[in-house]
Amino acid sequence: MAGPRRLALTRRVSVTAAGDGIPRVVDGRDVAAVRESWLVEDRWWTDRPLSRHYWEVVTVCGRDEVVFCDLTSGRWWRQR
Amino acid sequence: MIVCVLFPRFELTVAARERDGLLKFPAALAPEPGESQQVGQVSLSAEAFGIHPGMALGEALARCPRLVLIPPDPVGVADLWERLLVRLESIGAAVEPERPGLGCFEARGLLRLHGGVDGVLTAARRALRAPARYGVAPSRFAAVVAATRARVRRPVVVVGSASRAAERERVRTFLTPMSVKLLRAAPELVDLPETLERLGIATLGELAAFPATTLADRFGKAGLLAHQLASGGDAALRPRPASELVRESLELPEAATGPALDHALELLIDRLLARPERRGRAVRSVVISAVLVERGGGWRQQVTFREALADPTRMRLALAPRLQSLPAPAEELRLAVDRFGPPADDQRPLLEDPAAARMARLREAIRQARVTAGPDAALRVLEVDPGSRFPERRALLAPFEG
Repeated sequence: MAGPRRLALTRRVSVTAAGDGIPRVVDGRDVAAVRESWLVEDRWWTDRPLSRHYWEVVTVCGRDEVVFCDLTSGRWWRQR
Repeated sequence: MIVCVLFPRFELTVAARERDGLLKFPAALAPEPGESQQVGQVSLSAEAFGIHPGMALGEALARCPRLVLIPPDPVGVADLWERLLVRLESIGAAVEPERPGLGCFEARGLLRLHGGVDGVLTAARRALRAPARYGVAPSRFAAVVAATRARVRRPVVVVGSASRAAERERVRTFLTPMSVKLLRAAPELVDLPETLERLGIATLGELAAFPATTLADRFGKAGLLAHQLASGGDAALRPRPASELVRESLELPEAATGPALDHALELLIDRLLARPERRGRAVRSVVISAVLVERGGGWRQQVTFREALADPTRMRLALAPRLQSLPAPAEELRLAVDRFGPPADDQRPLLEDPAAARMARLREAIRQARVTAGPDAALRVLEVDPGSRFPERRALLAPFEG
């Protein structure tokens, strides 16, 4: 290992969301249930604000996923 | 300039010994007791049935029900290979033994001594006194490939050029039409050729034509290594250090198991530690081997002690459990020093602080884990901002400092 490595890094994921922003398909798997959702806003006082809408969902294969939509770029990411 | 010496099907030939007539028929090395159920080296006729080393035993038997399974003889293989290496070293070669039956050495320093490449090959042939195949090339992988193309009396020499770039280009031209299956010569790439062939990449030339970054994306480190080898590059040789053969053996009057073997082991340890060649040094690792009854082949295990030892009791404690895995009664038991440690002068204090002793043991365990599995074997999670609302900012993975 070259040096310290961050844990729980975000990874790109393909998500199909409904018109209201609720994820319907995550990584090719249909979403069976939405367990929780929350908003995180930070660094709004800087040039690079962070604004994320998190979703904890369960897919049809029983997998628990935490994904978020970066509200600045509109891209979806997975986080553990 | 690297010279590769290759004895094809070395382990199979040694295991078959006087029954070498078997090799004219479909034959393969049986799996070693306690190991995964895969066949070892296979004869030419077995290859014609599509059987290859590493194939699952069940699949090999399904492809060829007449397949003869020969019990492996790791002891005979190790003995003969060691003898051949010593003979090769006697001409001044610093040999890197890749695996039994395949060794490479740098010939540049020997060219003047023996009178050119042909002189080096003649000297090696005379020293080995065994029919080997020779390949000569500027890189190790190319030399191994050249040796697989060679015949016993016809070495394949990929002549080097004056400049390094021209030399590499020459090697690349030589490798271009060769099959990607040859990448199996590198232990890290054993599984790669099958995947490459499925993707339609059949030759090393096709592989080298890809950008290295593309292969890295798809196969990681293995892809980069394969690209480097196919392009005529390779890592430097790592010749084995000069070794001393300190070995004790004991013929057992009756095929022995259980307590009789334990006694024999005790005797061997005492005799090994009494050898004057030890010169007061501790022993870091040993090789324990046995010749099995009824031509059942041999059994061999390398044991590295947690710390260098010169205490017969502790050595016995470490070695005795290994005898449980003997697949059959033994006719002969052998114990050889694989590597010596420092002189045995490690005196312990009379009173030891338990916390300090525990920390020292932990440090030693981490050191050993890192030697085996690399520097990433022991890491610690370092909390930098545990209260952050963004999970990726909460913790770092950092090397463990004991």
